[in-house]
Amino acid sequence: MYNMSPADPCGAAVICGVGYWLPPLAVTNAELCSRLDTTEQWILSRTGISTRRIAGPGVATSDLAVEAGGRALKSAGSGTVQALVLATTTPDRPCPAMAPDVASRLGLTGIAAFDVSAVCSGFLYALATAAGFIATGVADRVLVIAAETFSTLLDPLDRSTVPIFGDGAGAAVLRRGSAAEPGAIGRVVLGSDGERHELIAVETGGSRQQSGYFRMRGREVFRHAVERMTAASLAAADAAGWDLADVDRVVAHQANARITAAAAAKLGIPEDRWAQNVREVGNTAAASVPVLLAQAAASGFLAAGHRVLLTAFGGGLTWGAATVVWPELENIT
Amino acid sequence: MYEELRTLLIDDLRLTESDLRPEAGREEAGLDSLAVVELSMLLSERFSVEISDEDLLEAATVADIADLLEQQIRRAAVQKQPS
Repeated sequence: MYNMSPADPCGAAVICGVGYWLPPLAVTNAELCSRLDTTEQWILSRTGISTRRIAGPGVATSDLAVEAGGRALKSAGSGTVQALVLATTTPDRPCPAMAPDVASRLGLTGIAAFDVSAVCSGFLYALATAAGFIATGVADRVLVIAAETFSTLLDPLDRSTVPIFGDGAGAAVLRRGSAAEPGAIGRVVLGSDGERHELIAVETGGSRQQSGYFRMRGREVFRHAVERMTAASLAAADAAGWDLADVDRVVAHQANARITAAAAAKLGIPEDRWAQNVREVGNTAAASVPVLLAQAAASGFLAAGHRVLLTAFGGGLTWGAATVVWPELENIT
Repeated sequence: MYEELRTLLIDDLRLTESDLRPEAGREEAGLDSLAVVELSMLLSERFSVEISDEDLLEAATVADIADLLEQQIRRAAVQKQPS
């Protein structure tokens, strides 16, 4: 069997830049309570979220992607990329993919560019795809962007989804390097369970249509999110030869503060090692992990040498985890 | 069994001690729908019993949940005995 772990000293994918962008429009719990049948306390205690950013009229997912992508490229310094892998479940239009447009707007017309759809796990799927491009010689440097406007999918009167989701974009640049150097992505552990596709879904346009809106079955999602992120994290740490006690920082999909707290307890990794931004930005779907990664790097919560565990869970169901020893990065915005 | 459940609710689910009385209703005790899922997962881990979210949601009080746990542990013990 072909070994996908980055054993080849020339074929490892190394993070050399990160960036993020959040739309400026912030919506508070108080504002939501004026139109939803809920209270500020209910939202905060169930989700840990107090504000979320919304793209708003006239702002498309690609606009967020271009901003985040440009910032990651700047952080990576000089040198171009030969591919863009873009994770999104909320593209500007069903066809064509968003990535070629985003690449052109970043001045990268001509590079390989396509979208990846794995809902909230999208960034980890895109990261693995980009690492594969580097390992197989398709590209030496790859831009990975995850961008979402989940606000466009929500039933405006659904109190179980509207408070949770926010819009945003995060990005990273990967370059060819050695598996032994800081920034090298360890084996990306990925999985899916299509038997539970209905737990997180937009059912529309077919004979089974229920509504045109995004729906989520909260309790079941909670259980699977905790179990899948825990198992994937264990597998990724194991592949890197790490004990969980060795993990300095966790950057987990910010689905809901209660999910990350339960996963922290199950893994036995203290909560003060977990990067958090769900309170200020909510759940930004695929963008969640790279936005948090860039924010945590910018704030110094992630420092060079930290052993960092990334994990995510989303509709599909899909999930994933990966490890990286954090590199020295500059110009993170 | 009530005391074991109470300890787990306080230490693991971080519910407020003063809200936990045997006759306290589920919501009154702080067991919202997500805490019920966590409780179901914890009971499976700690006591090796499978109690669904739905069954826990049907329990009216904390004492009812303790009774449900006790029944399931007893049932599991009977099933384990060699015939």
